[in-house]
Amino acid sequence: MKCKRCRRAEAAVELPSHHAAFCPDCFFVFFRRQVAEGIRKLRLLAPEDRVLVCVSGGKDSLVLWDVLIDEGYETEGLYIDLGIDGYSGRSKEKVLAYAASRGKTPIVIELAKEGIPIPEAARCVRMQECSICGTVKRYFFNRVAAEGKFTVVATGHNLDDETARLLGNLLHWQRGHLARQHPSLPGTDDGLVRKVKPLWRVSEVETAAYGFLKGIDYVTEECPMSGDATSLAYKEALSRIEDRMPGTRIVFYQGFLDPSNPLRRVPEDAPAGDVDRPADVDAEEGAGAPRACASCGAPTYTETCSFCRLRDRVRDARSLRAARGSR
Amino acid sequence: MYNASMITVRLPQKKKELELPGPRRVMDLLADAGVRPTTVIVSQGKKLLTKDHRVEDGATIDVISVVSGG
Repeated sequence: MKCKRCRRAEAAVELPSHHAAFCPDCFFVFFRRQVAEGIRKLRLLAPEDRVLVCVSGGKDSLVLWDVLIDEGYETEGLYIDLGIDGYSGRSKEKVLAYAASRGKTPIVIELAKEGIPIPEAARCVRMQECSICGTVKRYFFNRVAAEGKFTVVATGHNLDDETARLLGNLLHWQRGHLARQHPSLPGTDDGLVRKVKPLWRVSEVETAAYGFLKGIDYVTEECPMSGDATSLAYKEALSRIEDRMPGTRIVFYQGFLDPSNPLRRVPEDAPAGDVDRPADVDAEEGAGAPRACASCGAPTYTETCSFCRLRDRVRDARSLRAARGSR
Repeated sequence: MYNASMITVRLPQKKKELELPGPRRVMDLLADAGVRPTTVIVSQGKKLLTKDHRVEDGATIDVISVVSGG
């Protein structure tokens, strides 16, 4: 199969959703244009932005960092070591190696040192690892960005991630979540930094192909904690639809993002505070005006933020176990 | 063991390796391996292969899942 763009070289990437196939060089052009178009269309980034790129060692976040560096944005990487035996060490190695290849040194947060490694925290408070991981990551993304005077936080969520989330929100009629789901989550004057998802127009196959062809050495193993993630079921359903009807995902998501879509509006009967609450605040957070967390100062809608409450619960459970063990 | 009359299909994330008769197209090899083509990229050395690419006997290909969870 020949490249549909240059019509000379052998194609390496076939994209039925675009009725296209590209050789490596033409695919790089196509991919970067897709990301640039996604950024331009929703005004996700401005040339003067200082971007904190959250990198996990996986394909999407490293590809995002790579594209943003190549596009000339001022970026720093943030890696959060989740404290998962083996997996976290291997992921971190990939991040450090990639960063070094671009002359960068990422900011590293080690959850073990913060007293809240994910596996132990999940055992202590008897919660799903993914749920805890989300709360902890959101907290550090924002804290590091605010402390480092970054103007925006960028994550590697791609089209497959976003449509899986959209399907989940639709199936459960999560009207509040639907109204707030967007590749650009605005910041607030009281300390929440703006968050963007510049890869929202590109699929997982596309980011994987870009990473492979660019020689980015990313971690291909899945997080051992994510086996039961519900997003995988939604992804599989959408993938089967995409197999039959290529291009459905992007039509689904772009239609959802249309400002005239009534699902984009917070329902009138939503709880007080839901209307103004920024999109990225945990559902369990309360309503009303945001204030500073009594413990850490982070913006929150309750007395103490969800991260501090979680950290305190883990600390208490650990103390209890230690006391029982010493009897 | 290396078999020159077969194609080696490696699935690193599943920690699996198959020997399949060739020559055959990538999409046919994936069907035999029970893998949906839109969930993976397929490489041979440093090259990515399209699904209609014909793989010759003695070749080794890697099937890399692109689906990430969480």
